[in-house]
This record gives sequence, C-alpha cells and structure tokens, in this order.
Amino acid sequence: MSEVSSRTDEELALQAKGGEMRAFEVLVEKYKRHAYFIAYGFVGNREAALDLSQEAFVRAYKAIHRYKPDFKFFTWFYKILSNLCISHLEKRRVRRKYEVSLEEVPFELATSKLDPATIYEQKELKKKLWEGLSNLPPDFKEIIILRHFRGFSYKEISEILQIPIGSVMSRLYYARMKLKEELKDLI
Amino acid sequence: MGCEKFEFLISGLLDGELDAAEEQLLKEHLLVCDKCRRKHEELLRLKEVTDSVRFKDLPEEFWAGYWKSIYRRIERGLGWILLSVGAVILIAFGFYEFLSQFFADPEVSLLVKIGVGALGLGIIILLVSITRERIFAYRRDRYREVQR
Repeated sequence: MSEVSSRTDEELALQAKGGEMRAFEVLVEKYKRHAYFIAYGFVGNREAALDLSQEAFVRAYKAIHRYKPDFKFFTWFYKILSNLCISHLEKRRVRRKYEVSLEEVPFELATSKLDPATIYEQKELKKKLWEGLSNLPPDFKEIIILRHFRGFSYKEISEILQIPIGSVMSRLYYARMKLKEELKDLI
Repeated sequence: MGCEKFEFLISGLLDGELDAAEEQLLKEHLLVCDKCRRKHEELLRLKEVTDSVRFKDLPEEFWAGYWKSIYRRIERGLGWILLSVGAVILIAFGFYEFLSQFFADPEVSLLVKIGVGALGLGIIILLVSITRERIFAYRRDRYREVQR
C-alpha cells in the first residue's frame, strides 16, 4: 500500500481507471472525511451524509473511465458528491425555512473548556447557526462549508468549484453577509 | 477603488488570504470608512461564531469500515450486472428454442407462423430503437451524475 500511497491523486485515479482497486482505495481513505463532512454540511443528517458520501465514491468508481487528468481528482469527485447532495435535498424538499431541535444540530463545540452558562449559550448558538446555514442557497452554503468547516484555502476552493480566486472571495463575502443576516439576533 | 471592492477584501483579510499590498490598502481604508469597519467587525464576530463549532465526528468504527462498505456496494453492482447478463442470455436462449420448435412444427398453420414472426420482429425492432435512443440520450446527458 505504501508504494501506491506515494503517488499523486491524478496518478492514483489513472491507476484506478486501469482497474487497480487499491489505488481507488487510497483515494477513498484520503478524501473520506472531506466527503462525509461536506455531505453532512449539505444535508445535516449523519446517516444520509454517510450514505451519500459512500454513494458518491461508488459512482466515481463506476465513472472512473471518464476521468481525465486535466482535472484534479477531488474537483471531479466533488461535482459528483455535490450533485448527489443537492438532488437528495431537492427530493426530500428540505430546502425550506425550518427550525431544528437541539438534538438534531450536527455541530459540537470546538472546545470543551467552557463554563455551564456559556455552554448553554453555545447550544443556542449552534442551533441558530445550523438553521441559518440550512437556509442559505446551495452555492453560499457550499462555500461556507468548504472554507469554514473543511478549512480549504481560496486556491483549493477555486479548483474545487472551478471559479476564479476573486470569485471565491466575493462569493464568500456575500455568503457571509447572508449568514450574518440569518443570525441577526446573535451578531 | 469603491467600497464594494474593499468589502470583498474584508473576507480575504479574515481568512488571511490577502497579499501584503492588498492588506495594507484595506487597513488604510478601514481607518477612514465607518461602513466598511462596521462590516469588518460584524464578519469578524461571525467568524468567531463559526470557529467555535465543528461538525460532529463519526465513531471510529464507522471510519474503519468506510472503505469496506464502498467495496461491498461496488461488488454488489458487479453482481447485479452479471445476474442481468445471465438472465438476458437465458431468456434469449429460451425464446430461440421455443421459436425454432414453433416454426419447425408442421401442425402450426403458415398464417399463425407469419403472425408470430411479425410480432417477434416488431418487438425486436422496438427494443433496438428504444435502446439506441437511450444510449444516444445518455451519451449527451451532461447531468448523468445527478441522482434523479
């Protein structure tokens, strides 16, 4: 496996295209967390996110014969994943203004060193933030997820979404302003 | 430069994505523009909020079995393809055997044989036409990765 994992993503994708299953496994191991958390950000449900992220890898494997190394593997894969997530949301018709209970909120605190009063405030904040994020249009939601929750750089986002870096900056600005509007009681 | 351009740069500043010249330009603008300074403060607060949370992680056993689950799905897909191919071959063979015996049977009248032959030929033409149309549409479908 170590010999396989030293290859670039594009080399691995080409190896997988040639029928080498282990090369595809390395790609899955590398991107499974990104895939899962991006799907989680889109749909907000653990089981659905797990299913959608795995289904996206299955579809990528089935379509690997169409992969061209002009694109980065993750850019190509992301398209499959985001399309699946958006279709899932449309099918379930959950792209509406909605409220969730505290138990349904898919966030956890990034730090555990908080006093009880702050923890309570943070719980409310998590709920409001998730509701606000859920109410964003898909292109705003995805850029917030990629930047804030997966930590991709502007260059990486630009490659994933296939838009110029300037557009990443402006879209993030508008997405943040919209999210701020959704959280107007808190910010 | 208008405020709009500076507003976009605020996002870049918050993410540490500006070059030194852009950062300097924006910081100078923030000193003189109340509107942009207010937006910067609001977006900084928003960033603090989003930085204070993260998505809940899965238990480790899910990650350990992640690839196996994908492998099983791929394997199952292959199983279905082989099953379908096998079924098509057997059904086609059954039809072939039935039709050979049917047309070779001297007790069946010529008119019935012509009727059955025309019916069979019609079904084959329709199936070929529909299959060809589906393949043609699939090859040109830009959204074939989208689950419908």
